[in-house]
Amino acid sequence: MKLEMSRLQVIGLKSQLMPVVRQLHLLGCMQIEDVSEMESISARPLSLAKETIQLREETTYLVTKVEGLVSTLTGVLSSSEQQEMDGRLERSSEEECMDAARAGVELLAPRVQALMSKREKLEAEQISLPRYEITLRKLLPIVPESAHDPDNVFVGVLVSRAHIWVLDGVSEALLKMTAGRAEMVGEDIDESTRAMFVVVPKEFSDELEALLGREDITRLRLPEEIADQPPDSAVLALSQRLAEIPSELAEIRKGLGSLADEWLPRLKWWRICLRDGLDEIDVLTQFGETEQTFVVAGWVPRVDIPKVQAALSAAAGEGVVAELVSLTSQEQKSAPVMLNNPAISRPFQSLVKMFSLPRYEGIDPTMLMAFFLPLFFGMILGDVGYGSLLLLLGLLGLRRFSQPGTVRDVIKVLIMGSAWSIVFGFVYGELFGTLGEELGMHPLWFDRASADEVTSLLILSIAVGVIHITLGLVLGVWEAIREKSRHNLLERGGMLVGLIGLFMIVSVAVDWLPDGFMNPAAVIMMIGIVLLSVPLGWLGVLLGPIEFIGLIGNILSYLRIAAVGLASVYMAKLANEVMGMMGSVVVGIIIAVLIHALNLVLGAFSPTIHSLRLHYVEFFRKFYEGGGQPFEPFQSRQSTMLGGAG
Amino acid sequence: MDPSIYVPIGAGLAVGLAAIGTGLAQGRIGSAGAGVIAEKPDMIGVMILLLAIPETMVILGFAVAAIILFL
Repeated sequence: MKLEMSRLQVIGLKSQLMPVVRQLHLLGCMQIEDVSEMESISARPLSLAKETIQLREETTYLVTKVEGLVSTLTGVLSSSEQQEMDGRLERSSEEECMDAARAGVELLAPRVQALMSKREKLEAEQISLPRYEITLRKLLPIVPESAHDPDNVFVGVLVSRAHIWVLDGVSEALLKMTAGRAEMVGEDIDESTRAMFVVVPKEFSDELEALLGREDITRLRLPEEIADQPPDSAVLALSQRLAEIPSELAEIRKGLGSLADEWLPRLKWWRICLRDGLDEIDVLTQFGETEQTFVVAGWVPRVDIPKVQAALSAAAGEGVVAELVSLTSQEQKSAPVMLNNPAISRPFQSLVKMFSLPRYEGIDPTMLMAFFLPLFFGMILGDVGYGSLLLLLGLLGLRRFSQPGTVRDVIKVLIMGSAWSIVFGFVYGELFGTLGEELGMHPLWFDRASADEVTSLLILSIAVGVIHITLGLVLGVWEAIREKSRHNLLERGGMLVGLIGLFMIVSVAVDWLPDGFMNPAAVIMMIGIVLLSVPLGWLGVLLGPIEFIGLIGNILSYLRIAAVGLASVYMAKLANEVMGMMGSVVVGIIIAVLIHALNLVLGAFSPTIHSLRLHYVEFFRKFYEGGGQPFEPFQSRQSTMLGGAG
Repeated sequence: MDPSIYVPIGAGLAVGLAAIGTGLAQGRIGSAGAGVIAEKPDMIGVMILLLAIPETMVILGFAVAAIILFL
């Protein structure tokens, strides 16, 4: 079932614009449509006031800042801390929100930024310092005594071994420049690099720099703090520094952690408030205006209309009028869709939506699915033991997943399926396959595992298929009549008539009907095929019979109820027989339990998929045309959260 | 040789060959489907539908096997 939708038009004085928007946002039951796209409303699009545009810009800026802070602070928390933090929100009044956010961001952003940049620097050092250390340690044994003399300067250079000849030239030039007072030692750092250590008297330092620059030689550049120290003390300083970094990082992590603890609940609340504020400004682009008034229109579930009208008049008094708009049938068809089924069939809404949302005026198959899907599941699994275990697991799952959502829906579907499975377990006399029989359990109808009774199972599956497909076709014909679609009526009606003819032929063949019915039955089937072919034009001569054969294929497809079920029974039988075949009872039981466990997992998964397929492929295609637009109300995040909390 | 030994072989071939065909088709559709769902998760319903279509082959194979064995 779907909620009935009406189009509501709200006209008000411009002075009441923001209270009305606020109220609509909090109510969260109107899907606002763009007024400029409606022919019945002759108002120009609302242009935003300068202050509103400024407010929008500032809010956007604050949202970006707050989001940045939230993601930075959340990033420093461990996943368990994040989970704990998820539930925490520090609410403040909405009027204060903007000012509080502005002040908070100003105060917090520099602190977080300072800590983060310090952390980045430390992390960079953690990567780069060990590299210096390795190079310096290699140089240590060759550092000449003269490097410690305060009257000398020294420099380390790195040269690729492919260009090692450059060093010869440099050495020669240095000796010449210092009249033999320069000292040079070299060492291979790794396979591709050679390092050279040069010591020259202080007065030659400028010439040394110039020479190195001219030859384009890479100097070994140490961090600023240790650049002037000789290699041995530099190595010592580096090791000391590296030892200090982890504790400094831990300090920063602690600082960020306490900021997160203090600020995240507030920041998250501000984010919600600010985004709500932005939505309230953005929605104005869909409004219309005249000199003195504004107008807004949208879809509201009919049941909510009195509530919306009352809330608006309470918020804006006589300055606003909310009235229903009469619609053409075309406009009514374009209404958004909100499914609203009884609680028991609600979990199946997700399954229908997974295929496609029904159109506003189309059939909602949720209730039918809620009946047939668990039934098929039960027919396939059909085992008291597996059914009870799945039921138990499902009930435990419901306790574990208390929040509404897809997982909970799937569990509920599984619970209904397992209930039917227990019923069919008694019908087939199965408890963990053949174990029931050994314990004296008798089938209420037939034992599907015995070779003599498989035919009954096959006939039962086909019969279920015939009922399901016929129901689909009847619904399809009804839908075609409602929509006045000649094409669909002929196609679906033709299939239905052809199917009736086919049933009669089969009935004559199995002596349910006298032989005299054979000819009329054949004629009825032919009429059906002709009707089915008519809307397909000339191609119908070929396609009509093919479609009809496809329909028979659809019915045969329900044999999977028997086939998948039999596979499960034989696997259970195997498990029980293996138990007896093993020499040791313990080993036998372990293997049997393992096979049963595998069968149980398959038994939860496989029947669901196959029942779903029978609905999507065989059943829905006879009548169901999805493609509805989901109802997306203009709803504030605050009210959703308060609703969720309540 | 007793001709009745061909009965289970025929039934096995009917299901087995159909299953190989279905498997080949589903393998291709499944890989394409995984790509589609990664891009557009709301297409999952349509993809299940497409993936399910070749299954009919193996069910028809089963129907033939059942006819061979039991009728």
